[in-house]
Amino acid sequence: MTTLLGSSLPRPDALGKVTGDARYPGDLVRPGMLQLKVVFAGRPHARIVAIETSAALAYPGVVAVLTAGDVPYNAYGLIDADQPVLCGDVVRFEGDKVALVVAESQEIAAAAAKLVAITYENLPAVTDPRAALAPDAPLVHQHHGSNVLGYVPIRKGDTAHGLAEADIVLEGEFSTSWQEHAFLQPEAGIAFVDDQGRLVVETAGQWLHEDRRQIAMLLNLPVEQVVIRYATIGGAFGGREDLSIQHLAALAAWKLRQPVAIVWSREESMIGHHKRHPISVRCRWGATNEGKITAVEAEVIADGGAYASTSIEVTKVAALFATGCYEVPNISVDGYAVYTNNIPAGAFRGFGAPQAQFASEIMVTRLAHALGIDPVELRRRNIYREGSIEPMQEPLPPGVSALPVLERCVTEAQARFQQAARRSDDHAPGTTTFGTNGITSHLRRGIGIACGIKNIGYSFGFPEQATATVELHGTGTVEHAHVRVGAAEVGQGTHLALGMIAAETIGLPLDKIVMITDDSSEAPNAGSASASRLTLMAGRAVQDAAVAALLAWADEERPAQATVQFRPPATTPLDPITTAGRPNYAYGYAAQAVEVEVNTLTGQVQVLRVISVHDVGKAINRQQVEGQIEGCVAQALGYALMEHFQMRDGHILTPHFSTYLLPTALDMPTEIVPVVLELADPQGPYGARGVAEMPLVPLAPAIAAAIHDAVGVWLTEQPMTPERVLMALGAQQTKIERPG
Amino acid sequence: MQPFIHIDVANSEEVIPLLDARSRPLAGGTDMLPLMKEGIVAPERLINIKRAGDLRYIRADEDGLHIGALTTLDELDRHPDVRRDYTTLAQAAAEAASPQLRNMATLGGNLLQQARCWYYRGDFHCWLKGGELCHARDGRNEYHAIFDQSPCVAVYPSDPPAALMALEANLRIVGPQGARLVPVAEFLQPPSAERRTLHTLAPNELIVEVHVPKGPSGSVYLKAMDRATWAYALASVAVAANIRDGRAHNVRIVLGAVSNRPIRALAAEELVEGQLITPELARRAGETALAAARALEHNHYKLPLTRNLVAQALRDIMAG
Ligand SMILES: Cc1cc2nc3c(=O)[nH]c(=O)nc-3n(C[C@H](O)[C@H](O)[C@H](O)COP(=O)(O)OP(=O)(O)OC[C@H]3O[C@@H](n4cnc5c(N)ncnc54)[C@H](O)[C@@H]3O)c2cc1C
Ligand code: SF4
Repeated sequence: MTTLLGSSLPRPDALGKVTGDARYPGDLVRPGMLQLKVVFAGRPHARIVAIETSAALAYPGVVAVLTAGDVPYNAYGLIDADQPVLCGDVVRFEGDKVALVVAESQEIAAAAAKLVAITYENLPAVTDPRAALAPDAPLVHQHHGSNVLGYVPIRKGDTAHGLAEADIVLEGEFSTSWQEHAFLQPEAGIAFVDDQGRLVVETAGQWLHEDRRQIAMLLNLPVEQVVIRYATIGGAFGGREDLSIQHLAALAAWKLRQPVAIVWSREESMIGHHKRHPISVRCRWGATNEGKITAVEAEVIADGGAYASTSIEVTKVAALFATGCYEVPNISVDGYAVYTNNIPAGAFRGFGAPQAQFASEIMVTRLAHALGIDPVELRRRNIYREGSIEPMQEPLPPGVSALPVLERCVTEAQARFQQAARRSDDHAPGTTTFGTNGITSHLRRGIGIACGIKNIGYSFGFPEQATATVELHGTGTVEHAHVRVGAAEVGQGTHLALGMIAAETIGLPLDKIVMITDDSSEAPNAGSASASRLTLMAGRAVQDAAVAALLAWADEERPAQATVQFRPPATTPLDPITTAGRPNYAYGYAAQAVEVEVNTLTGQVQVLRVISVHDVGKAINRQQVEGQIEGCVAQALGYALMEHFQMRDGHILTPHFSTYLLPTALDMPTEIVPVVLELADPQGPYGARGVAEMPLVPLAPAIAAAIHDAVGVWLTEQPMTPERVLMALGAQQTKIERPG
Repeated sequence: MQPFIHIDVANSEEVIPLLDARSRPLAGGTDMLPLMKEGIVAPERLINIKRAGDLRYIRADEDGLHIGALTTLDELDRHPDVRRDYTTLAQAAAEAASPQLRNMATLGGNLLQQARCWYYRGDFHCWLKGGELCHARDGRNEYHAIFDQSPCVAVYPSDPPAALMALEANLRIVGPQGARLVPVAEFLQPPSAERRTLHTLAPNELIVEVHVPKGPSGSVYLKAMDRATWAYALASVAVAANIRDGRAHNVRIVLGAVSNRPIRALAAEELVEGQLITPELARRAGETALAAARALEHNHYKLPLTRNLVAQALRDIMAG
């Protein structure tokens, strides 16, 4: 291997992004394009009695008002096509779309949108997932027959037996809230019909070929007639996996045969795209006095909102990780993805793993405390090792590094946190500090540790592949190469990483590699920018294609070209009877240690330090790996402590960043220490696996443990806002004052 | 947004004749423009007072502090006299909003900031907007009032006015009939059936100056937020007092973000008046200040939070 792989090369897109040169989808809008405005339902559940568009159509400058009847095939979705593009009979959540106004300017479109008169007959709304499971609950989808979108059972061993064997059994109840992706760039895009009669959509997304499939389907077009191009993408985090505006632009451009543009405001973005699932977990964990976990029973309920999106897949991941990264002999988990009249929930960095492990990691620490065993030691005794049997009764895929990751985290924490404690202005964890007047200070410090696991790539039999084409050009020797791979650059740095893999494999300098990545008709399908999968999947496709192209070159092919589809070992769909199988082909392992300071007067929690340890197999570009870790810690911190997306009776109460609070620079820890282990994955290119989601998994439970260390209370609801911390402290006070 | 007419004026005198029920002054615009975009208010005319130079000044003299209504929160926070002698006001200004907003936001506009209640700012025709029903009272109310003063349970959202109340400041207001001087404590009133606003400014009046009498020896502003900075108060406390011979005199305690208006905690003031404030006395003052408070369904945390802030502010004042 040369020195290329592992070096911290600067991002080719960075300069353009900070100077304003980069062209995001909103920058593609040109004078003369027709502008689109969505008419949202604005109510959680109602029957549409009538849609009157004549007043809007009569408004000067309005070109068309599209409604359900204008959509050739009015149903779409990433997994199940259960969502209408434009609702014709029933609206099921506040952000459902009913009409699309097409006008000569944004102002005209907005004014005319107000003139679309829709008569509704309100229907009873169900906005609590547990209530939605009741037999007499109003149905979100009448024809579906129940609000259970998906039931996910996982069974291993015999939990009755396992719990009987336990010396101690603890029960717990946990809940998490919606999280908003809050990418910098709200949804936008343009669409037009080109001179070859193809429908072109230029926008942002996470998977060119899936956007193409869905748009072609709803317009009854052959996929070749639809071209998706990605402009510079301003963040995604799973929030661009579902279609939001892409298909609306496509519909209008195709119907009218005119170029159209749509640009959402932040508020439209907030109500218009899906969120992370709120999940509630009720569980029982049993362990022996020796610290062996014997059984786990859990019920996992995910609020899927009004449409399927990826809810069933997310719930499978959450159910699988209800036992975290621990080998438990007896498991019984019932997962439910539930339809409600809330905003749809779908993909978001971590995809069910953070919610499940908020519960499981806290339970493991609570068990350790109850047994009088060090929480790290209890983890050591149960953590996944090579060959451990998963909840689905088969051995883990090889490359299990949970234990070395944990051990490294412990070593780093010991070195750094003790060092910190020795500094004069600092105080040892868990101690109380004293103010100038001898008054007991209200700032208390604590430390906490947690582990995390997350699958890399698609799970449970979802078709998994990545395809790349490499062309080698030159006369005597290979002079430059074209790499075609339809992988979305959402800010994670995949284009540079894939280019580095190509350069390394071919033996060319990086500047001789031309990446062709952003056009569905020019680059083959590499799958989505999700599930931390592109480095492993697209990376392997590029590596294998480069090797094959070199062989063709050796055979005197000029230019030498090879296309390779990489497929990892197959996974199996969930069998609802045996629940046995192989859920995943690779995992990423993480461990984090945090130090926090809790203000007992205000309930505010300041995270002081985070150590984030990850086995990435091989850091293709070290700076990018560290950037992913630091950025993800920021997102995880917001999720853990403050990002509180709230709905009441199906109405969103936090559509602005003044009420949906994201962390600021002052909320960030003074120190984030990314620690990168390189224990090669057997599948990955040069051993690389993914890292993008893993830092989001352990942070919230690590913070919860640190809060407990500082002030002795457990927070079980996320986000752990000052309000909740204060209430927990108050409940503790009451217990001390009135014992028994 | 409804179309409107925009009129520039060069000084405050030109404003008054232009004001009526359908016209609003435009200062920094940081509250006005969002309200117009959301369609919550729709004035036909905006009278842009940003260029009225005679409204933008901070003057400290033996009479106290004179602050022109167009003074920005950033200017207040940076002014050395304000920082030294009217600390609570500088702190309240510094803790409000973000640097970008503080550069635009004026003190006059801040006094008139509308409720931040999420129903009010959302698509609900609630009582404060002229409707029948307060949606927050039985809805989601974690950021709402713990002192019930009207059918509306929104809290008064601005920080600096609580500090102004602790400093017993007055407003100079000009209308067609001339000027009037009114204490901030009287100017801010809970809404009523006839007046659905958190203040008592008539549509044809302009705030021209805030006058703060000579400051007490010490003052402090404490604000609790959901994140480290740039957020509205969950609760806040402004305290001002003269510390002489180790005892606190002339103590004024004002609670913010707990009701339709900042609230003077008179019983707590009485408890500590003339006393050496020990941590124990500070704690009792906190309890006294909150004795009449009643939580709604989701804001029980505000009781201990506000109690704790009162006690901490009193300890801070004693520590100097
Ligand atoms: C995201 C965000 C966060 C914020 N956070 C905080 C916070 O934490 N704490 C806080 O205190 N504030 C906060 N604010 C509010 C901000 O401080 C106020 O919006 C600002 O002070 C208003 O001043 P302005 O000059 O922009 O007023 P404008 O928006 O111009 O006007 C507001 C109202 O006052 C009227 N008006 C203005 N000046 C006069 C005058 N001289 N006489 C008569 N009427 C007048 C206008 O007609 C209008 O009705 C926040 C605002 C935003 C947008
Ligand atoms: S608290 Fe006031 S502003 Fe909020 S809903 Fe009730 S009446 Fe409206």
